[in-house]
Amino acid sequence: MTKIPLELKNIRKVFQDGEQEVEILHDLNFQAIKGELIAILGPSGSGKSTLLSIAGALLSPDGGEMIVNGENIANYNDKQKADVRLHSIGYIFQASNLVPYLKVKDQLKLVADLAGSWNKETQQRADELLKSVGLAHRANHYVQHLSGGEKQRVAIARSLMNNPDIILADEPTASLDSERSSEIVALIAKEVKEKNKAAVMVTHDESILSYCDKIYEMKNGQLTLRTTLKTTLKTTLRTT
Amino acid sequence: MFSLSLKEIRFFKLRYSLIGFIMFFVAALVFIISGLANGLSSDNASSIQNMNAHAFYLDKDADNRLDRSRFDEKVLSDIKDNKNLQAVGLQMLSLKEVDSDKKVDVSMMGIDPNSFLMPKVTEGSTIKSSKGPTIVADDSLKKQGIEIGDKLYEENSDITYTVVGFTEKQTFSHTPVAFVNKESWENLFPSKQKVSYNTIVIKDANKDLQEDVSSTIKDGVWAEKGDVIKGIPGYDAEQKSLFMMLAFLIVIAVFVLTAFFYIMTIQKVNQFGVLKAIGAKNGFLIGSTIIQVIILSIVSIGAAIGFAAILQAIMPKGIPFVFDFGVILIYSGVLFIVSIFGALLSSASIVKADPLQAMGRAE
Ligand SMILES: Nc1ncnc2c1ncn2[C@@H]1O[C@H](COP(=O)(O)OP(=O)(O)O)[C@@H](O)[C@H]1O
Ligand SMILES: [Mg+2]
Repeated sequence: MTKIPLELKNIRKVFQDGEQEVEILHDLNFQAIKGELIAILGPSGSGKSTLLSIAGALLSPDGGEMIVNGENIANYNDKQKADVRLHSIGYIFQASNLVPYLKVKDQLKLVADLAGSWNKETQQRADELLKSVGLAHRANHYVQHLSGGEKQRVAIARSLMNNPDIILADEPTASLDSERSSEIVALIAKEVKEKNKAAVMVTHDESILSYCDKIYEMKNGQLTLRTTLKTTLKTTLRTT
Repeated sequence: MFSLSLKEIRFFKLRYSLIGFIMFFVAALVFIISGLANGLSSDNASSIQNMNAHAFYLDKDADNRLDRSRFDEKVLSDIKDNKNLQAVGLQMLSLKEVDSDKKVDVSMMGIDPNSFLMPKVTEGSTIKSSKGPTIVADDSLKKQGIEIGDKLYEENSDITYTVVGFTEKQTFSHTPVAFVNKESWENLFPSKQKVSYNTIVIKDANKDLQEDVSSTIKDGVWAEKGDVIKGIPGYDAEQKSLFMMLAFLIVIAVFVLTAFFYIMTIQKVNQFGVLKAIGAKNGFLIGSTIIQVIILSIVSIGAAIGFAAILQAIMPKGIPFVFDFGVILIYSGVLFIVSIFGALLSSASIVKADPLQAMGRAE
């Protein structure tokens, strides 16, 4: 049996809102398997980002198990979680969150450096990644001169640099126009398929769902599977 | 880690050069003041500092002050003619240049010119009794227009001295020392007054001899060279106030640098959060911050050392500024530690930076 890259079991997350405790995630269960791009939809404030932060080892749940490659990391300390983020998870943020003083190529070098693995091989991988996101010609530019879409593409390449099993993206297209949006999601889908990653993407944008294999909706602190892609496609086909 | 630090400095040139400049100016100021302290110290005391002496026998009540100590010449006769012991007379005098009527202040020092006390004559000839009262003076007297062959007149004793030579680095209480032989020294005293000397100098440590002197000449104490230097009028006050300035400057440096590094770190908290989100650990982030501070310190302090060295070369002669590399190295070390300390204080905010910040939640 192949290991499941990301598995959430009975996750609970509570935030303090003044006097009151608000349970944002309630007994939530979720799995992401290799080669699948999963979309998570839901109204603003429903806890999508909270869920993704927990999945991305940025935030600890108040209960439940958070299993990455078969290991429960829910109670890891900060340093261990940093290691999980570095090696097992590639995170794509809404604001691409690149390092302002590094050139495109060095953005990728940095994460390899952090993992202590900057060598001939990873150097080559960086070049290939930049090529596959269509930015080879921008390798020696500072990120301040890049457009929003280009920045996001660098972020995608960066998230793949340490060859993680899991890709997480929190509204990666929120700041882009619709044409750029589908370009970016298509790129994520391509990388997920080609490199056989498990990927979870939070989005508001219904138009890009066609690239996704599964669609979940966040409601009352839980995820419900909406439909499979195939049925979505069928219904779309039938109606047109 | 190192290349990341360098890249950031290169990218934010202005920000880092501002901090670098502040460090440079603080360091340069520290070096200038320490150079002045050094220069003033030697301007004040070089004749004692450079004297080939181990200890000074002084009047018990003189508070280690050469100018207050007095021993009658008669008493000294018992210990005369010893290669290791010499009597020294010292008196501040105003002499009048005969041709121009100009007055010059000197510290007249009466010694045996054939003894270990006579400094090297760098210009002209040494003191010779055959030529009447002659003087070998510190070359700072030249700045007041005195040349070899000039005649200097002393009013009270009605003696005219001839300047026959110059020596260097021989000052006492900020005045040039004028060396005369014992004959000239003794002639300074009016006939009805007893001739006296200020101190007995021992060249090399010799416990028996020192005890011998103590028992032969009553009411005296042996004082170390350092204590005699501190006893020069004004010396201690001068050095202490300069040292106080230096101490305050370093305290100010601690606060200024700490504040700067703190502000810089606070500004970058979001950046640290992002770096943590992609897997950077506290150790890495603190390490790269410290490396930046080390780079900045080395460059700025190095530049300040260079600046002080150049200053030494171009400073007009009248300003007592002495660049002592050893001392400057010590202050450099202190400033270096101070800036590392300042940077370490702000590493608390690096540890506190939250990787969740990368999510871009509006607070
Ligand atoms: N650190 C926090 N402290 C308190 N409340 C929080 C915190 N983070 C998120 N929340 C709350 O949790 C809810 C879910 O937030 P979030 O996961 O960002 O929603 P979404 O991404 O689905 O819009 C919101 O109501 C938000 O105000
Ligand atoms: Mg959100």
